[in-house]
Amino acid sequence: MTQMTAAQSCEQALRVLPLRLREEGRALPGAEKSRAEELRLRVGWPMSVVLEGEERSLSGPPVRREELEQLVEIASQASLHTVLDQVRQGYLTVEGGHRIGLCGTAALREGEIHTLRELSSANLRIARQVKGAAAPVLDRLCPGDRLADTLILAPPGLGKTTLLRDLIRSVSEGEGCIPLRVSLADERGEVAALYSGRPQLEVGRRTDVMEGCPKAQGLMLLLRAMNPQVLAVDEITAPEDVRALMTAAGCGVTLLATAHGEGRGDLERRSLYRPLLEEGLFRFLVRICRSGEGRAYAIEELR
Amino acid sequence: MIRLIGALLLGAGGAWLGLLAAGDLRRQAGDLRQLEAGLALLEQELELSAPPLPRLLAEGAERCQGPARALFRDCAQRLDRLDREPFSALWRGAVRGREELGEEGQALLLPLGDTLGRCDVPRQREALSAARRRLEELAARREADSRRQGRVYQALGLSGGAFLVILLL
Repeated sequence: MTQMTAAQSCEQALRVLPLRLREEGRALPGAEKSRAEELRLRVGWPMSVVLEGEERSLSGPPVRREELEQLVEIASQASLHTVLDQVRQGYLTVEGGHRIGLCGTAALREGEIHTLRELSSANLRIARQVKGAAAPVLDRLCPGDRLADTLILAPPGLGKTTLLRDLIRSVSEGEGCIPLRVSLADERGEVAALYSGRPQLEVGRRTDVMEGCPKAQGLMLLLRAMNPQVLAVDEITAPEDVRALMTAAGCGVTLLATAHGEGRGDLERRSLYRPLLEEGLFRFLVRICRSGEGRAYAIEELR
Repeated sequence: MIRLIGALLLGAGGAWLGLLAAGDLRRQAGDLRQLEAGLALLEQELELSAPPLPRLLAEGAERCQGPARALFRDCAQRLDRLDREPFSALWRGAVRGREELGEEGQALLLPLGDTLGRCDVPRQREALSAARRRLEELAARREADSRRQGRVYQALGLSGGAFLVILLL
């Protein structure tokens, strides 16, 4: 797998836009393309670009509803039926792991979202892989060169998924540690971003990915079917996820997971996370904090 | 002797013209049947594996014959222009390019562009199935026409030839 530069990644993401909007995106200066995090399209307003969290309107004509429909058509290769499950959840993963968030009027069927019609806005998030993100923590998390059970904890937007992805990649490739078989339950496709059966973001050669399946079910399926040495999951959000991790821990698999929270206090306070501590599922807790413009990692031993 | 040969040639020529006209109708019916089979194949593939549209059309182009093959191949090639035109417009362009289907045949296929690739699988299959049934009806009508009108054309051709022979003799 070839590593793309940030600008190349942006160029690749722009390919899913209808021609007019694509040209507008391509006209961005190279430095901005490298820094662009998102392109936002709202009907009736010019397209805008998000640079380091700040949204800036571009000078083109307002986005039309038909252009949003065309965006979905291009992104799905005119095959909505193949991505309908994702669209029902409000997003769409495209080649390169870029993700299109969708908003509009939900069409319900038996109380469930059947599809989105009358699209009103879309958000094209440009996927970027930070290779080496795990390097500062890898040594500590691999006593005896073998990854130990690790929980990554941070508030949204601080790079939990990025760190998880690079840890998976490093362990799977045996970079700085013993190579291990990793199974990843990637419910929303945010870690590996499968597209036509291939991870669009690098997760290593010994990694098996189960996407689109509820996390708890995915974890159990991977445990039964793929004989993993490491079981990885992004965002523990439900008691079933915790139960599945407990079962896996009982099978001697190394666990690697992320959760929302500021610090150990959150784990002790929230009833969802408390069993993780009580049962001693994880040996290490990695907290991510902002440090100037970058990130700092704090590692704590839990058992 | 030469007159006799000339008379025979005129008679045969008239009959041949009649056969040609009847053959046109038969060929149209055959084209519609092939298209009907093509749509059935798409329907079946959608049910079995629901592939993305480019693969579905490529599969159709490979496994079908005649105008179905040409239509699916043309449409698959047009998908390169998806960033300029919606699929419905690309499909319409491809259908209108198939003159052998006649206006009625084209009119039956045009609405498929609004459903293919834009709905869930059951609705796409329904639309394909409906179009297939209508094509089947049209093909049956064309076949009946070709039988009925074919005889008329042949008789007209033959008697036209005979009339010319009488005139010339």
